[in-house]
Amino acid sequence: MEKTTAEASSDQNVSVPVSIWEAFRLHLICGLGLAVAFWVAHNIYSIDLISNPDQTLFLIWVIETPIIIGVYSISRWNPKQCSFLKAVGHGLLGIPAGAFLNAFGAIVLGAPIGFLYIKRTISWSLLMSLFTFAPAASVFGSSWNNWQRLFVYAKPAGIVDYMICLPAHGTVIGAWLGAWPMPLDWERPWQEWPISVSYGAIAGYIIGMVASLGFIFMFDRRRPHVKGD
Amino acid sequence: MSYLTCTRLTTWTLAAVLLQIFGLSFFLYGFFPVKPALSGVSGPESYRSPMCEPVKDLEEKILPPDRLRSLYKEMSGIPLSFDRLILMVVDGLPAEFVLGKGDQPPTKVMLEAMPYTQSLLSSGMAVGYHAKAAPPTVTMPRLKAIVSGAIGGFLDVAFNFNTQALLDDNIVGQFYNISWKMVMHGDETWLKLFPGFFTRHDGVSSFYVKDTIEVDHNVSRHLKTELIADDWNLLILHYLGLDHVGHIGGRNSILMSPKLKEMDEVVKMIHMNKILPQDDPHGQTLLVLVSDHGMTGNGNHGGSSYDETDSLAVFIGLRSKVPDYASATNNAAFQVDIAPTLALLFGVPIPKNNIGVLIEGTFASLTDDQWLRALELNSWQLLRLLQAQLPHLSQGLPCKDPTVEQYSQISKCSGSAELKFRCLISNAAALHDAWRLNGARGFRNNSRDDFRGTVAAYYEFLRTASEWLSRRATDKPLDLLAFGVITMFVSCLILFWLCKEVYNKQKQCFPNLYRSNYTMHSDESFVSIAILIYIFSMGSSSIVEEEQYIWHFMTSTLYLIFFRRSIQSLPAGQTPNLLNVSNGQKCSNYSHTCSIIFVLICGRVLRGWHQGGVNWTHLPDISKWLEQAGLHSIIYIQIASVVLVISLGSWALYLLRPKSAFVPVVHISFVISGILVLLHNIEHQEHTLITSNYSTTSIAQIIYATISMSVITIVIASPWLMPISLYKTRSTSRFHLMSSHSIDIHKRTPELGLRGAAYLIGWTYIVFWCLIQLLLQKPINAVPIILVLLQILASMYYFSMPELHHKQWVEVAAFYFLGMAGHFGLGNSNTLATIDVAGAFIGVSSHSTLLAGIIMFVITYASPLLIFLSMVMLISMKDTSYILDSQNAEMGHLLQMMIGFPCLVPLCLNSIMLTTFTIILLLMRNHLFVWSVFSPKYLYVCATTVSVYVGVSVVAVTAVYLCNVFVFRERMFNPKGNNRQTNQW
Repeated sequence: MEKTTAEASSDQNVSVPVSIWEAFRLHLICGLGLAVAFWVAHNIYSIDLISNPDQTLFLIWVIETPIIIGVYSISRWNPKQCSFLKAVGHGLLGIPAGAFLNAFGAIVLGAPIGFLYIKRTISWSLLMSLFTFAPAASVFGSSWNNWQRLFVYAKPAGIVDYMICLPAHGTVIGAWLGAWPMPLDWERPWQEWPISVSYGAIAGYIIGMVASLGFIFMFDRRRPHVKGD
Repeated sequence: MSYLTCTRLTTWTLAAVLLQIFGLSFFLYGFFPVKPALSGVSGPESYRSPMCEPVKDLEEKILPPDRLRSLYKEMSGIPLSFDRLILMVVDGLPAEFVLGKGDQPPTKVMLEAMPYTQSLLSSGMAVGYHAKAAPPTVTMPRLKAIVSGAIGGFLDVAFNFNTQALLDDNIVGQFYNISWKMVMHGDETWLKLFPGFFTRHDGVSSFYVKDTIEVDHNVSRHLKTELIADDWNLLILHYLGLDHVGHIGGRNSILMSPKLKEMDEVVKMIHMNKILPQDDPHGQTLLVLVSDHGMTGNGNHGGSSYDETDSLAVFIGLRSKVPDYASATNNAAFQVDIAPTLALLFGVPIPKNNIGVLIEGTFASLTDDQWLRALELNSWQLLRLLQAQLPHLSQGLPCKDPTVEQYSQISKCSGSAELKFRCLISNAAALHDAWRLNGARGFRNNSRDDFRGTVAAYYEFLRTASEWLSRRATDKPLDLLAFGVITMFVSCLILFWLCKEVYNKQKQCFPNLYRSNYTMHSDESFVSIAILIYIFSMGSSSIVEEEQYIWHFMTSTLYLIFFRRSIQSLPAGQTPNLLNVSNGQKCSNYSHTCSIIFVLICGRVLRGWHQGGVNWTHLPDISKWLEQAGLHSIIYIQIASVVLVISLGSWALYLLRPKSAFVPVVHISFVISGILVLLHNIEHQEHTLITSNYSTTSIAQIIYATISMSVITIVIASPWLMPISLYKTRSTSRFHLMSSHSIDIHKRTPELGLRGAAYLIGWTYIVFWCLIQLLLQKPINAVPIILVLLQILASMYYFSMPELHHKQWVEVAAFYFLGMAGHFGLGNSNTLATIDVAGAFIGVSSHSTLLAGIIMFVITYASPLLIFLSMVMLISMKDTSYILDSQNAEMGHLLQMMIGFPCLVPLCLNSIMLTTFTIILLLMRNHLFVWSVFSPKYLYVCATTVSVYVGVSVVAVTAVYLCNVFVFRERMFNPKGNNRQTNQW
């Protein structure tokens, strides 16, 4: 990964011209995209997560990818140096890298390995990567400092940071929680890998979006005081 | 902050541990009452009074079955009423369906569903009883109660390991002894209980709960031929369909009345064919229709509610007629009463551990004399059982002497249990004797009243004794249990407080490690959350069955969090305060991060090695795949593992910094033991068909001897032989002639030697423990052992990274997690079935329960104990020099810093788990799975506690010994020079 030397990053981000309304609009578009994807899967292809997990996940991914990468590329952190198309390219490159990391995490935590599950794992990790990595990749490109601040230290410092960090963490935590019912002997079809995990991830993503709006609202109100200090 | 010295810390820890042991033993004693069961089977001696001196009857024991049968008949004095018995068990049939509840007859639907049985009841041909069953109301223990009359405890099931055969005295066994021919059709539980007893059988499995038709058809299809056949004396029919109907649709399922009708047809067929024809050439037949348990409204069972315990016993074909419908249906008894009743009706002794009482209406065809004799036999049997629990009971009871008049001694009975029983039985015996005497003298004028009085006296004794015995078997003394739980809880709190104290002290000592931390780090909070999640999930029986998933999941998550934290310091060049990090350090940071990935991958392989647990064991895993690939690949892997352990050990010795002449000796002992283990494994592989081979046994014994000798020698010798290079440092310090610098070096050297010795001993423990495991474990488990070892080494390497500010308790907790995940990765589970019993006899030439038990423990707790042994090495990895540099460097302080957390954290974690699971077990004591899931798990929890004690004491003893030796050596070398320092040590 190319490492750009960082300017004082936090100041840079606060100054990114994203208002709370824009954030709300952005999350609304992503959420609506998700809803549309589910609607398409259910009504046009008549598949759902339980009966055809891999196809459904893949379909959601296909529909959601342009939306998420598009809207986050618009709010990239340094619009002067980085064109919109370049940001989209960053986002698209970020997806396979993130998918690899997500798949590694899932397998290490016990996701089944085998021919049966390869397709499911791939589509699931693509979707996970879309929720977690693609926004950050579109906005920050390969600026390691920003990545480290968001994902390693989890210290968002600005509206865009909140918009990326909270849904991503929500997705991961939701997926982690979603794995709990899997080993139980309830004999339900949704206990199969990765159905409950996907439900958890999507729920976590939505909760993360809502929470990020809340935090942005708080942050927005507090911002003048911070600056005053 | 209170001042906590090393001595006080030790005292408090020991007190907490002792408190825990006390609480645990109180709880165990209360929860699993050790029922002093009588071993052996009843023989002819049961027809003699237990009050008299036992008669030697050695020759009677080896009687052939026919002689035995006639001897029983002769001694009992009760004529046989029947020759053949049909025991028809309808699984899960509530007595309410047939007999009604209380005074009310059954509902109209039920009456119509079983027309023939109802007509038998109303015409007086049959008599029915509500036979109250004892919890747990599940099939296997209920069948045991029906045939043996005893309420089993849990421990006798647990200690039977894998055999399910009923070893207690029971009527089926008694029938077998008098060479009855027995036939069984139905639930295969009977075949498990009585392997080889039945001449013909067709077992059906109750596994397919959805099937309600075929299970019963498979029984009924034999009925016609069996009813014609004349070779059997006992026919057992066990119908499972009704229980399945209940499980599917509940008590009021629409399938219920067709199923009852089907059962009614069976009763009708048997009655028409076998009981009605009075001139059957094969003798009289008795049909006993029983159910093992009832069911709740939605068809479940297992608990102790009225609906579940209300089981049925109907006797069809008794000689006497019952006057009316109400007296044929409105009777109460206990399920255990069936065994003695059937035993005496068919002329065999009552089973030894029976606590049942003869059912009153079933002996109506006997004369008064015979009936009293039957009650007397029952009383004698119960008296024998009581004597086993109350050893002084028989003192003062007269041996029967029919010439003495004892009317005057009849008295009200009260007082302690012993007094009461003594009084009740002597009352009954006196009345009986008087009645008998009167009969002999020919006074029978008021005999009816005397008879009734005697029967009442007998029943008073029988009922009191039976109730007392059954309470002993099932009741749990709640105050004892509560006391145990509270004690454990207090000890848990003490351990937690001690941890906190040590934490505070460390915070004082290493301010740089513990700075800036008012908020917890993600890893610390995760460990706390993981423990909380674990505690709550243990309340669910399905998670207890699949506990391995929790540990794997938690451990991997914890290491993923470590991974995240290690990235924090990864490309550290950009963080301002660490700008001047050299390139080499950066590289080592990368390798530390890679070590975490290595731990994670090892963990994943470990998880895939055995598909553990209960529900998913059939899924493919690596061990099954390897076993399919053939034995040869496994043995090669095993050999490779031994070689790997030895080479790891050699490499570690090579890395040892203060070299000593002693190290090659250690190396040689590693290699010799390794070669011996290899030899044994190859030998064992060649003679895999012969169960106990002489040469393998002797090799194993040589290995045990070699390993224990080497460990003892190395542990004792290494601190003495480790160079502390005191002279050298002194000389350098003289050269320098400077105070501050030279003293600094001078202080460090013994500390280096101490760490070197700890490192050496830690490695010795690890290598020898792994070798022992490679010897004892199944060959397929060689790789998991290696994986656990590699995980330990990789995490040790990761924790040695200086920039990481993991607190020591998190490191120890991570080790504990690794140990538990490894425990399940070795194929262990929470059922007793996964204990490797075969491995426990490696190298044991004579049968010794203690030795085999110890080896079994070593095999089962391989991974947690390996973790504890490696703690010694973990101590050596910690840089303790700053403790010595600081002002308050004394030995107690050093010890506290060194082994405070490695000992306290496992104790504390384990005590949290023990206490919570004890509370869960207490809350779940009426749960359906309390005996099948929670109690085995509790035994495992107790064994884990023992393993923690063993491991912690090894760590503590080693560290204390090391410190003492080094202090002593320091004094030897420095008799006068540095008095101030020596005192501080």
